[in-house]
Amino acid sequence: MTRKDYLLNQKQKGRHLFGVFPAQYPKELLWAMDIVPAEIWDPPLEITAANAHLQPYICSVVKLGLELVLEGKCDMLDGFLFPHTCDSIQNIASVIRDCLSENKPCYFFYHPKNPHGKAARDYYVLELKNLTLSLEKQLGPLNPDALKQRIQQGHKISGLFGEFYDLRAKGKLDVGNREFYEQLRRGEYLFPDDLIPELEGFLARNKGKEKKGLTPVILSGVLPNPPEILTLLDDLGVSVAHDDLLIGSRRLLVPPSNLKDPFKQLAESYFSMPPCSTKGAPIVERREYLLHLIKATGAKGVIFNVVKFCEPEWFDVPNLTDELKKRGTSTLVLDTELNQGLSGQMKTRVEAFVEMIS
Amino acid sequence: MTYFAGIDIGSLTTEVVILKGNDRMVSSAIDLTGTDCNEAVEQALGQALSRAGISRSQLSFIVATGYGRITIPFVDKKITEISCHGVGAHHLFPDSGTVIDIGGQDSKVIRIDKQGKVLDFTMNDKCAAGTGRFLEVMAGAFRLSLEDFGALSLKSKREIPISSVCTVFAESEVISLIAQNQAKEDIIRGLHRAVVNRIWSMVQIVGVHGAVTMTGGVAKNLGVVALLEEKLGGKIHIHSEPQIVGALGAALLAKRLFI
Repeated sequence: MTRKDYLLNQKQKGRHLFGVFPAQYPKELLWAMDIVPAEIWDPPLEITAANAHLQPYICSVVKLGLELVLEGKCDMLDGFLFPHTCDSIQNIASVIRDCLSENKPCYFFYHPKNPHGKAARDYYVLELKNLTLSLEKQLGPLNPDALKQRIQQGHKISGLFGEFYDLRAKGKLDVGNREFYEQLRRGEYLFPDDLIPELEGFLARNKGKEKKGLTPVILSGVLPNPPEILTLLDDLGVSVAHDDLLIGSRRLLVPPSNLKDPFKQLAESYFSMPPCSTKGAPIVERREYLLHLIKATGAKGVIFNVVKFCEPEWFDVPNLTDELKKRGTSTLVLDTELNQGLSGQMKTRVEAFVEMIS
Repeated sequence: MTYFAGIDIGSLTTEVVILKGNDRMVSSAIDLTGTDCNEAVEQALGQALSRAGISRSQLSFIVATGYGRITIPFVDKKITEISCHGVGAHHLFPDSGTVIDIGGQDSKVIRIDKQGKVLDFTMNDKCAAGTGRFLEVMAGAFRLSLEDFGALSLKSKREIPISSVCTVFAESEVISLIAQNQAKEDIIRGLHRAVVNRIWSMVQIVGVHGAVTMTGGVAKNLGVVALLEEKLGGKIHIHSEPQIVGALGAALLAKRLFI
């Protein structure tokens, strides 16, 4: 079933469809209100209409999101959610709400940056409650038991993804890079009742078959697009042993919380996620996280696959590559535009990197 | 006697180097790539074999490199030009630690170790700025050959800065400056500066380690070399035929892989 068919099917079941822009948001809260969050990262469109409205130096995640709206492909949605990920998403949120949403409700979620102190946690809980109050005006009251159940499902999903990652790092998951991320990314729109059995089936089919002789690397950046990069790595005998992707480990590997208050549980999970540029994590934390992944997996190098003009990511990349090189880790930086395929030059860069680390 | 071949299929030219088992280069050939990589390879390989006085069947191992490497069916191995330039530069100048390769379509800065193995590299974006193509277009605007274009810049007394490194906008800017009767050599030096600044930002990413060797067709451009040496504060190693360094590296790797 295609993503669109799945979403239409969910709507027929009486669920509410929300278009959610990247990246960090309380998915469990939306599930509890019977909302299916359909994340908008890289819809397979050619950017034409959006170029007329945006500066050339806006990243293609934002451009593709706007293109989706301008082409009328969001008509089936019941609302939008815009997490405060970066200035470009913040700006496009205002444009869509003020000019393009045609009375579709638009919600905003401001998560704290550089989240270390108690004030940041209190603020996050307050934001969760504010979002709940806003959603309740449209959809009716939140059922606290439903929230607890969805949080449990969220933990189950994180646990399953964690098992994927662990098995892959040990070479005991019999799937290539492309297949791995295709499965991972189905979590961007599947409702947990469907996602959990699918992940369990995937794990049962593919665990335990050891793969040997592959060169391990860490993949960093926002998302693995163009997906041809993953295919190329498969062809070159390279395994992504772990990742530091925004669509991947940075938000999926959430440890469970034992707190009783569900809002505090959600907050605890948010603050336990790995460091991320979109949360203003200090560069030292990001470096240490990468060094930990390298050590744990025996990775031979780190590939930074960064979306062109992604300001939060690009700000960190020069410092991160410098720090890793000083510690003897090889790095490759690729600046990619979504859905543009792999140029011969880009392939050469990847191949040369693999020759270098093999 | 055992022979090995390296074939470098670049965007502008195709180079072939034939190597003897004792690492001695016995012949080389350069031909325009044109629109058919296979035809260009046949031409250049035929010339190189003829000059070496051997037949194709005497080649024990062939490595292809360059952007056209994927299109050549009969080779034994395909290796990127980044690895090949590293090995070729190290063979010619063993003290090389940094290789600057500026070809027709792309430019690279490569850091190598004492065996010629790549330690780090960077490549230009998908843009003609800072490549041989940029200089080719600009030389065309002056109706000068590439050799004269490079040499003329050395006569400049008052360099004129070029504000854009975009090939299209820079060409427009150059045409305006020509219309203002500005001295050709001053404009050309400004153009060379634009290229060198672009390359220099790549050098900053990789860093300067050991002696610097320049490869690729643009290494024949005296104006670019002079400005790069000015930036580096020292001399750059350049082989008498810098275009064949990638093919030489490929031939050396062919021998290593065969043995």
